[in-house]
Amino acid sequence: MLKLMQNEWMKLWHKKGTWIMVGILVILTAGMMGLMKWISLQNMGGEMTREGMIQDPSSLGGTVLLLTVIVAAGIVASEFSQGTIKMLLTRPVKRWKVLVSKFLTVNLFGMFLMLIGYIVYLLLAMLLFKSGSGESISSWSVWSDSLYMLLLSFGNVFITATFAFTIGSVFRSSSLAIGLSLFIYFTGSTISALLSKYEIGKYLLFTHMDLTQFKTGMMLVPDLTMPFSLAVLAVYIVVFLLISFTTFIKRDVTA
Amino acid sequence: MKPVVELKNLSKTIRSKKIIDNLNLSLYPGQITGFLGPNGAGKTTTIRMMVGLMKQTEGDIVIDGVSLRDDFEEGLSKVGVIVENPEMYKFMSGYKNLLHFARMHKGVTKERINDVVRQVGMQNRIHEKVGTYSLGMRQRLGLAQALLHRPKFLILDEPTNGLDPAGIREFRQYLRKIAETEGVSVFVSSHMLSEIELMCDRIAIIQNGKLIDIREISEARDSFYYIEVTPMEQAEQLLVDGGFTVKPFTDGLLVNAEQHQIPDLIESFIAEGLQVFAVQPHRKTLEDEFLEMTGGGQIAEANAK
Repeated sequence: MLKLMQNEWMKLWHKKGTWIMVGILVILTAGMMGLMKWISLQNMGGEMTREGMIQDPSSLGGTVLLLTVIVAAGIVASEFSQGTIKMLLTRPVKRWKVLVSKFLTVNLFGMFLMLIGYIVYLLLAMLLFKSGSGESISSWSVWSDSLYMLLLSFGNVFITATFAFTIGSVFRSSSLAIGLSLFIYFTGSTISALLSKYEIGKYLLFTHMDLTQFKTGMMLVPDLTMPFSLAVLAVYIVVFLLISFTTFIKRDVTA
Repeated sequence: MKPVVELKNLSKTIRSKKIIDNLNLSLYPGQITGFLGPNGAGKTTTIRMMVGLMKQTEGDIVIDGVSLRDDFEEGLSKVGVIVENPEMYKFMSGYKNLLHFARMHKGVTKERINDVVRQVGMQNRIHEKVGTYSLGMRQRLGLAQALLHRPKFLILDEPTNGLDPAGIREFRQYLRKIAETEGVSVFVSSHMLSEIELMCDRIAIIQNGKLIDIREISEARDSFYYIEVTPMEQAEQLLVDGGFTVKPFTDGLLVNAEQHQIPDLIESFIAEGLQVFAVQPHRKTLEDEFLEMTGGGQIAEANAK
């Protein structure tokens, strides 16, 4: 399995697009921080302190999600479109192992982007913002908050990437997978808000995708609890992966 | 001899259409078997089932005593595959591609990769990106990846597509070499009949999903001679009287005569005052036989691609 992941990792980094993605991540993160700085200089957004910035790195999530979805959507679909799938599946390796290695690689890539983004974010937070009067940067609570927010915002990355991975492996079309994933990412909260009055709103995927709501308190649907959200998400993830694995294993490859 | 590969009652039904119908075939070590059939006869489907790209509806594929149904990984570890044009990862170098596939087999060392690269004569360009390779180079790389794990059984689907004549010849000799020295069983599907004829020891012919013939290629065939003589009627009469079977063929006659009978024949023509323009051995090509057997090779109705 490790060797399979090594393969996927190698293929990933030999594509120019992957390096461009890292570049985009760095530029977007830096741009975002610059914008924040500008807003704070205009005195529009109230006091922004170094600690405040560090405590909430969740703004990274969106960029990382976008880029991870692109990789998740293409990692199976591209093998079909390149025709390399027939080389990959005529090896003495069971198909589910191939798919697991791809899924894990996608998540590893997401974490890697998160880490890169986080490092850039922290550096700029240190450089651009002054320390405030509140908690000191050396205090543990600042960092635990920061990491907790990072973890929660990764939740959304994981879920959307899994969705993209499923669509990509079932329909073998990365553009469809990217399109659908970004569509639910952008419209999901609206749909949830519209349906929040009804019982069904509580069981929609969109309602639970953004886990940072439990930290910030800006709930889409009132009365949600974190364990409930995690349980609903787990069900969705299992369903997605089941669909993805059964179709991938059963498929007759004619490409 | 124990077969390396056995197909037992192999059938494949797609949307209630029987594409492969009860196929039985055994392949032996050291032998190159050609797989022929008109378009849509089920060659590609059969091969895809043998390498795990498709699942059979019924029957079994046994490779070196292991059924693919029972232990896919063990069975397929003996198989080297080139399915149609070998598509590689174009954004990586040839070497990285080989490394990638080597990691999916057990016990392929770096030395082995280098050996194979040398064997297919690619050491000069192996570190360049596959995207810059010509079709011939890619075919060589395709062969290299199929040989990495020293397979006992090699499956090739249209392997000489895009090779130049020198490349085809080299390829043929190479296949013959590994079949003879390493006892590898080779299974080649191709449309190029002359190619198959030169390369293979045995041919299996499939039509409409059924195996219609298996034969050894070196089998002694009836010897025929092509004779051009005027006047033809007189010559024909002479030959029929001599107990030969005669058939008109292009501008002359086709006679089933043995080599040692030819001088006498010519002498008798001359004695009768006939004008002899040509006497040459005539070999029925595989193409003629193939077309005879498959009835002109029209595309089968069940076109399974």
